[in-house]
Amino acid sequence: MALEQLLNALLLGGMYSLVAVGFTLFFGVLDLVNFAHGEMATLAVFVALALFGVVVGGTAWGAVLLAVLVVAGAGVLVERLALRRLRAAPPLLMLLATVGVSIVLREGVRLLYPAGSNPQVFPPLFPEGALSVGALRVPYDTLAILGVAWLVIAACDRFIRGTRTGAAIRAVAQDREAALFMGVDLDRTVAVTFLLGSALGAVAGLLNGAFYGIVRYDMGLVMAIKGFSAAVVGGLGSFYGALVGSLVLAAVETASTAYLPGGSQLRDVLSFLVVIGFLVLRPTGLLGERSVEKV
Amino acid sequence: MRRLRFGWLVVALLALGLVRTAPGAPVQVVKLAFLGPLTGPNAPQGLGARNAFDLALRQANASGRFPYRIEGVVLDDASDPATGRAAALRAVSDPAVVAATGHWNSPVAFATIEVFHENRTPIVIWGAIHPDITRRGYAEVTRVAPTAEQETAVGARWVVREMRLRRWAVVHDTTTYGNFTRDAFVGTARGLGAEILSTDGINVGDRDFGALLTRLRGLNPDGVFFGGVVTEGALFKAQMARARLEAAFFSISGIFDDRFIEVATPQAAEGTLAIKPGVPLERIATGRRFIEDYRAAGYREPYGAYGPYAYDATNILLEALRQVGPDRARLVDAIRNIRYRGLLGEVTFDREGQTRLVAVTRYVVQDGKWTVWEDSEYAKGKRKVR
Repeated sequence: MALEQLLNALLLGGMYSLVAVGFTLFFGVLDLVNFAHGEMATLAVFVALALFGVVVGGTAWGAVLLAVLVVAGAGVLVERLALRRLRAAPPLLMLLATVGVSIVLREGVRLLYPAGSNPQVFPPLFPEGALSVGALRVPYDTLAILGVAWLVIAACDRFIRGTRTGAAIRAVAQDREAALFMGVDLDRTVAVTFLLGSALGAVAGLLNGAFYGIVRYDMGLVMAIKGFSAAVVGGLGSFYGALVGSLVLAAVETASTAYLPGGSQLRDVLSFLVVIGFLVLRPTGLLGERSVEKV
Repeated sequence: MRRLRFGWLVVALLALGLVRTAPGAPVQVVKLAFLGPLTGPNAPQGLGARNAFDLALRQANASGRFPYRIEGVVLDDASDPATGRAAALRAVSDPAVVAATGHWNSPVAFATIEVFHENRTPIVIWGAIHPDITRRGYAEVTRVAPTAEQETAVGARWVVREMRLRRWAVVHDTTTYGNFTRDAFVGTARGLGAEILSTDGINVGDRDFGALLTRLRGLNPDGVFFGGVVTEGALFKAQMARARLEAAFFSISGIFDDRFIEVATPQAAEGTLAIKPGVPLERIATGRRFIEDYRAAGYREPYGAYGPYAYDATNILLEALRQVGPDRARLVDAIRNIRYRGLLGEVTFDREGQTRLVAVTRYVVQDGKWTVWEDSEYAKGKRKVR
């Protein structure tokens, strides 16, 4: 039973980490808390739903991949239209702009998608059934989510550490002006960051939708709060920090539901108390090395 | 002392003021007030109820039972307490209005019952189901619709006693509705000898119940009582299958919606038990007559879930009116003590003014559809809920 709860925690942590990694990317590279990140998840899900209606048959995965591409493109567009001009402005303004974008996207989905205010059914994308590992039963969709989350994060890490564009991203993250002196194309680097980050958000949303089977126009908001908190706990700016932070939050939530009497109602309270604790005692998070900056 | 110039005029006016309708003069028009949400998100419920109110009045006037005409005063509460209160004040300030029926939203009812109580005017609630509405000790307030508590108690008797499911895990959302239904189920079930293994709260908006389900599986319950509404209920039921929690799943009208089956998927929703207040009207003679009369009257909106209750409420007012005449104070007592044969059965009110009649229908999800229990294969023993 404890093993199974561990699996529950891993799964939840995996879900949170996909969003947390996006937040950490934006903060690490651009010193930006992108409040519109959660909405990329929502957008991806609703684009996929719209495409399912158009793309028939066994190409559900085709619609899903297309949704990721569309949202990645949307992220780049958002940066270009709403945020680029604010690069030289105080950071607070860019933050506010992302809040505005998030409202526009969320309400846009709600108003433009038919019956957008209501929860929508999302088709399961993974095969049913499970793997038996000794006494533990691991459903295929849990495995898939854990696998995809791990793969995506590892791939991102590889990209950032192993390619020229990745190097450019790391350069901008370290010192923007020095990077400019070294000839890094800032516009392109920022665009790639948004492409990557939005794609991550899209994947997070689609996996979430496929796993729970139901999506809502405001799901991005909830995912963003959890994901951002996880990134903070793990240390904004650190990839693996995002993963660790997500697992910590997921563990707190699972443990409180599983072992605390009345814990199911309290799980969000406890997990956010942990976040507050970190902000007070160790604001740089578990693995973060950046200094604290006031927004 | 100066003499008043038009003293005679003053005296004449005063005299006129003292003249009243001579006692025994025939009353021409008696009014009954209807209050409900005619605009706003709950308008469909309010309009259906209003139509039923109107139907009852038309039938009363046509029947010749009354020596006067009965007029309806229809007032919109817009699901808002302030608007409702204003409507209530308008109703009671018209001396021709002798009684009222009202409300779908409990917060609105809480606001207006004060007005009706202060003005000693009876109001029969047709839709607002918060249990405390009838618990303020106001003689003027009665209610024909069963509360969620009554509904749950009837359901508990079904699943605990009749179906002999003894060990229960209770999961509820943390809204007032969830808390009330939890208390009602736990109270009734324990009284029938059931064992409540755990009670857990979930938040509206929660989607992941994995950890909770794993823990509940360890307790090995016969059934799970769910006090909540459609989305969370459907997600919970679907995840029960994933977590291999093999127990019956029972809830009340909060989950009763086709969307429940859609969201949980028909396979996962199979065997879900639910009860809902009211009886399909087509199955009873009085109901069929009501359906036919409603249709013939040509209303645009369907009568909805609460039209029948509004119809009964209005007819109770009319019956009391017939018994004691258009006098507010006498109507208060007459309504409280009434015995009225309504659409769903005989209505009497308990000490708090709450109806004793709790007519419900039991359902089970079979092959992707809500099926009346008595018609289902489960009732016949061909399928099992756990």
